[in-house]
Amino acid sequence: MTKRKITRVLIANRGEIALRILRACRQMGIEAVVAYSEADRTSRAVMVADEAICIGPAAAKLSYLSAPAIISAARATGCDAIHPGYGFLSENAAFAEAAAAHGITFIGPSAAVLERFESKAGVRALLAKHGLPTIPGSEGVVADIEAARAAAKKIGYPVILKASAGGGGRGMRVVTSETELANLFPLCAQEAQAAFGDGSLYLEKYLTDTHHVEVQIAVDDAGTALHFGERDCSVQRRHQKLVEESPSPALTTKVREDFLARAAKAIGAAGYRNLGTLEFLVGPDGKPYFIEINCRIQVEHPVSEMVTGVDLVALQIALARGDTMPMTQAQIERRGHAIEFRLTAEDPANEFRPQAGEITLFRSPSGPWVRFDSHLYAGYEVPPYYDSLLAKLIVWGPTRDEAIARSRAALREVEIDGVATTRDFFLGLLETPAFLNGSATTGMLDASGTAAILAAAPKVSA
Amino acid sequence: MSSEQSRLDPRAESEAEELGVLIDALLPVLVDRLKETGLGEIEVERNGATVRVRAEATPASALHAREQAVSAPVASAAAPVVNDRRHAIRSTAVGFVTLASDVHVGAKIAKGALVASIDVLGVPNEVRAEHGGIVGALRCTTGDPVEYGQELFFVERIGEGGR
Repeated sequence: MTKRKITRVLIANRGEIALRILRACRQMGIEAVVAYSEADRTSRAVMVADEAICIGPAAAKLSYLSAPAIISAARATGCDAIHPGYGFLSENAAFAEAAAAHGITFIGPSAAVLERFESKAGVRALLAKHGLPTIPGSEGVVADIEAARAAAKKIGYPVILKASAGGGGRGMRVVTSETELANLFPLCAQEAQAAFGDGSLYLEKYLTDTHHVEVQIAVDDAGTALHFGERDCSVQRRHQKLVEESPSPALTTKVREDFLARAAKAIGAAGYRNLGTLEFLVGPDGKPYFIEINCRIQVEHPVSEMVTGVDLVALQIALARGDTMPMTQAQIERRGHAIEFRLTAEDPANEFRPQAGEITLFRSPSGPWVRFDSHLYAGYEVPPYYDSLLAKLIVWGPTRDEAIARSRAALREVEIDGVATTRDFFLGLLETPAFLNGSATTGMLDASGTAAILAAAPKVSA
Repeated sequence: MSSEQSRLDPRAESEAEELGVLIDALLPVLVDRLKETGLGEIEVERNGATVRVRAEATPASALHAREQAVSAPVASAAAPVVNDRRHAIRSTAVGFVTLASDVHVGAKIAKGALVASIDVLGVPNEVRAEHGGIVGALRCTTGDPVEYGQELFFVERIGEGGR
């Protein structure tokens, strides 16, 4: 096994995840340098860091998405590793390869592994071969409209057309008939080409109103693969996750344990390395079917950390260094229930319109089993250039009901003024029967709508 | 437009007279300016005669630690208010700087001149002077690592000729 030196890490990301990575580095005795754009000069990660370096102007293309700027910053500050966080360049094989060419360790899968898991259609086929059930769909990429028509006819409408190079919920179209397919296929291919530089499409049976579950996995260089339980991310709006919890209320114990073990085994055998997440949709038979992989640390990783007690960012760094897996599957004990709420600068009463501006008041919640990951402070200016995540509230309880009760209390303590946030939406969600009884599905926000959830929110004095 | 220029005698004929005028009229102004701007050195040249005033140098650190990263925007935001004739030449990229060979304290640079280059993984990124003038305090030396937007050196703008 190759040992790679990691003594000084460049954190090439922003917001709460930059702080999260900084904390992991400090706990491990690793120096860290925060890379920031001009728009993030006053961000909390820059203030808290021992050292920070400006990599470019506000536009992400010229800063957080600029591989030369980031690698050059790593060299200028003497860093031997780069942590890309999530989003931006976190799953970019060319970036990982360029970093390696400059003798810098990319904290994530190697370029070769990222390339192997780049094509969504290819990964579906690869993991099916290693024993993971997948949603019925085309055999890999559909070459043309004729192939798409034949595949759709075989699996039955509705189907979902997906860009093979897509991600983050983008490049997808639901198709309900053959006539629609004729119209949408060329359009979707064109969009995929424009957005991802690759027009390849594949299709799957479209499951509406289902549960979205995912497995947190980690694999060392030798191929030892472990799982850290599942997360249920069914509360979504337009394929964007709002709430995540572990364990999933949608799985029976038997289905859960079988699917977790199979996921870890398949991903190790398929050649994946470092930290990752396998996403599934639960079929009408109550069993999860694989849809896609995320080759990075995820926003919702704290849910699994709260349940297992394992620091996943520290583990990710250790695995990137070439460490042998420091634990066995039997040592990973999953206890109780954890829920995460993504507090964003979005106005739920106004189509979740993104907000920007100065935070005039900021009070964070605390108390037993309450974790609040945030880069906010009073006086902080939320820039308009990046995603709208302000904070993640993660609450643990011995049971789901206790976690929910603690979540209500903690959410009431959150006070953020200056921009509209999603806090009241979550307070309403915690009074909504479908969420309380664990039957919330991916279609929930389309069906009952946001208005009903907001109306259920108790009035909280602020 | 500038007070020191208006005090120069346009009819001075000999070099000695020129130098006398420079010293008498310009020196007090230059000394005041030096104190006021924190420049390391100011040099003014006219018809071959040169006057240079120099303050005690304060070394500038290259890549900053946290304190400077946070204080920098405050300083840069305040700078134009303090003195709109002093202009910072800033790095256009993150990498390693090479100053142009003719950039040294007291040198005169023209607007648009190539004054430095930032090496980004072997690719040079040009830094050009937005304004002409006299090079004041240097904030870096060739080979230093620099961040995007970092002050490389200051230019003191002098009269219309430097624009």
